[in-house]
Amino acid sequence: MLKIDSLTKAFKDRKAVDGISLAIPDGQMVGIIGRSGAGKSTLLRMVNRLAEPSEGRIEFDGREITALKGRELLHWRATCAMVFQQFNLVGRLDVITNVLTGRLYHHGLVASLFQRFTAAERAFAIRALDRLGMAHTALQQADTLSGGQMQRVAIARALVQEPKIVLADEPIASLDPLNAKVVMDALRTINREDGITVICNLHTLDTARNYCDRIIGLAEGKIVFDGNPGQLTQRMAREIYGAEAEEAFHEGMTSTTIGGEPAKARLFEADLKKSQAAARAMAG
Amino acid sequence: MTSAISTFERHRADLIRQRRTMNLVFIAGFLAVLAASVYISRFYPERLASGLPRIFDYFGTIMPNLKLDKLFLPRGEEGRAVPGSITYWYADFWLYVRLIGETILMALTATILGAAAALVLSFPAARNLAPTRTIFWAARRFLEICRGIPEILIALILVFAVGVGPLAGVIAIAIHTAGALGKLFSEVNENASMRPVEGIRGVGGNWFEEMRYGVLPQVLPNFASYTLLRFEINVRASSIVGFVGAGGIGMELNRVISLYSDDRVVAVLLLVVMLVTVIDLLSERLRTHFIGKENLA
Amino acid sequence: MSAATLSAFDPAMVDEARTAHPGAFGSPKRRAIGWTIAIVVLAYVAGSLWYFEVWKLAYASDRALRLIRALFVWKDFSTWQFANIYAGIAQTLAMAFLGTLLGSLAALGIGFLAARNTMRVTLFRQAVRRFLDVLRGVDQLVWGLVFVRAVGLGPLAGVLAIFVSDMGTLSKLYSEAIENIDRKQVEGVRATGASPLKVVRYGYLPQVLPVFISQSLYFFESSTRSATVLGIVGAGGIGMIIIERFRANLFDQVAFVVINVLVCIFVIDWISRKIRERFIGETAH
Repeated sequence: MLKIDSLTKAFKDRKAVDGISLAIPDGQMVGIIGRSGAGKSTLLRMVNRLAEPSEGRIEFDGREITALKGRELLHWRATCAMVFQQFNLVGRLDVITNVLTGRLYHHGLVASLFQRFTAAERAFAIRALDRLGMAHTALQQADTLSGGQMQRVAIARALVQEPKIVLADEPIASLDPLNAKVVMDALRTINREDGITVICNLHTLDTARNYCDRIIGLAEGKIVFDGNPGQLTQRMAREIYGAEAEEAFHEGMTSTTIGGEPAKARLFEADLKKSQAAARAMAG
Repeated sequence: MTSAISTFERHRADLIRQRRTMNLVFIAGFLAVLAASVYISRFYPERLASGLPRIFDYFGTIMPNLKLDKLFLPRGEEGRAVPGSITYWYADFWLYVRLIGETILMALTATILGAAAALVLSFPAARNLAPTRTIFWAARRFLEICRGIPEILIALILVFAVGVGPLAGVIAIAIHTAGALGKLFSEVNENASMRPVEGIRGVGGNWFEEMRYGVLPQVLPNFASYTLLRFEINVRASSIVGFVGAGGIGMELNRVISLYSDDRVVAVLLLVVMLVTVIDLLSERLRTHFIGKENLA
Repeated sequence: MSAATLSAFDPAMVDEARTAHPGAFGSPKRRAIGWTIAIVVLAYVAGSLWYFEVWKLAYASDRALRLIRALFVWKDFSTWQFANIYAGIAQTLAMAFLGTLLGSLAALGIGFLAARNTMRVTLFRQAVRRFLDVLRGVDQLVWGLVFVRAVGLGPLAGVLAIFVSDMGTLSKLYSEAIENIDRKQVEGVRATGASPLKVVRYGYLPQVLPVFISQSLYFFESSTRSATVLGIVGAGGIGMIIIERFRANLFDQVAFVVINVLVCIFVIDWISRKIRERFIGETAH
């Protein structure tokens, strides 16, 4: 159970996150929506402690996350994996090493500086890549991959952390619809199969509706909606997005709705082909 | 109409006058500095006039005295070389070769040591990567001091401390290299993308792991290129530090120039110029071969 | 293949993954190469340091301590000849200024002789270039030593050393600037029927002069730095004062002079950067 209590992040002239309180039970898939600048990113980064909160506290299973320091803080970051909009892979390293960096917390300094990973870890990393259909790229340099592939590698990196929570900060905002669907399916899969809590910042409404158990709407750093996708009315959504409503509702924009299929539990290359065929059909 | 023209003319005249005064002030300042410089360094025409012939005399005496007919004559019966032959000119050839070898070794060792120190220091000395402001400040100042003091001055002091020999030169050049490369490396680090760093921080990596995985793979090709360039510079430096007794061909060069006024001077000078040129060429080849494909710094 | 934790991975599963993706487990050949390189470099450094008699460092401690103490404990501060010290610094600046100025003037002529588009006779151009290579190949300090031998101790040798080495480098840089010129402007001047000298004056100079000046300023800056050590071989300036006091074991004064020189160099770097910024900022448009 992740509990957030009146969390605030104040910058010089404004509050990016303004007194947010939340409780997220284990294994939930949560979508956070809102227009750009609503504080979605800041909120997620504070949960991972990549950003320091100005006020308020975060608790996980009774431990106060906001008070962690040193090695305990690193342990929290290892437990609470982060997936970034720009993937944040190390472009000049190969894919398998990028995935293995997810194990860094568990190594001593010398072992990690000399890239000494165990055989079991390597097998584990291969397994994680395989689940995302990326095992064949294991020896490729990461910056030779496409955006969608990079994001899948980033999710594999998150998986080998064996996290309790995955935070995804606009994971599909830089991807085309097809890859966006593949990535969202993958997040959904690890949520359903591994029971990992997934908290996902999303810009588009239909993606949140299709994939998430619960939707939280942010506007100007405050929660304006918290409920299941069914409860989110069109009027409510317009209020959340304001002037950006048209863009957010527009189906073509980094949305994941291609064939109108519901989220899959597992990912196979066959699914990928089917999605590609669907995309072609739509284009033609 | 006429007023417009006259206004324009007046402005033009003003502008020209302004520019002319600016130029005059500039020229006057320049001449004043020039006069002061001439006075301070006692660079008077009569000194120059008496000095110039001596320069040509000197260069005349150090030119090799080769005779075409005796050029390739070997050493004679009792092991003496014939004056006018190349063997006579380069009587100490093998000594020079040994010293040039020592010079290259000095440059190589100093480059490796200095680059290693620079590598370690370049991360705390990069504004975006330093763990705290204090560490950043201390690392930067340390590098500036290493870079600021000329290597020959450090060599002079080290020769006093550890005695005559190449060790003082190696350490002096290594210190200077650490400062110079450390600054360049830290600038490369400051231009590195922070995204991989954030990625590593996100998985729970500590500062060292952020640097090792997030930054190092990005900057390594540039580091290699700068280090090779520095090696070229260090070969020159290690051929000089001998002037203060810090080893290498410079010691022989200093001895030959200070004690003799004959063709030995040009013999050693020629070898030094060749050494520097060959190293420059090789290193340029190596740089384009290794780094050119990926990215040329 | 469903979700599995790392601890649930048994050797059989590892082997399975290894057969499927052998490359992901690191190739023994690459590891061997890595180890070899590391060992060779370490062995080289250790070996060369041994050859350079690194153990001398251990014996040097008392002398080093004396040195370090002298750097911080300044004795008889009032008796130091400050006028002498600052005159030395001024002399260094004057040497750098004169040397760079003369070098720039010489390079102004030689640059045109070494550029492909202004010197058509290949043989002559190549000869000029090789001559410049030799000037640059010999370090400024060596020139200093040579000129001390030729004209005696003092700043004249220093000015000549700076002049010769700056001339070598500046001529090369100037000739490159001349080769990168916009040809249309030159042809425009030539079309008016101007003599070759006038073509240079009106076609080339306006384009290359700003580049020349900025490069010369840069060299003035670097020459002040190198001129401080010219005195070590007797070629005038503050270096002579440094080595004089060093020989007399007046290390506290040496430290003081070096600090002053560093401050001076820092100030000159700063001023020169400002001038270049302004100058290039004004002439670039």
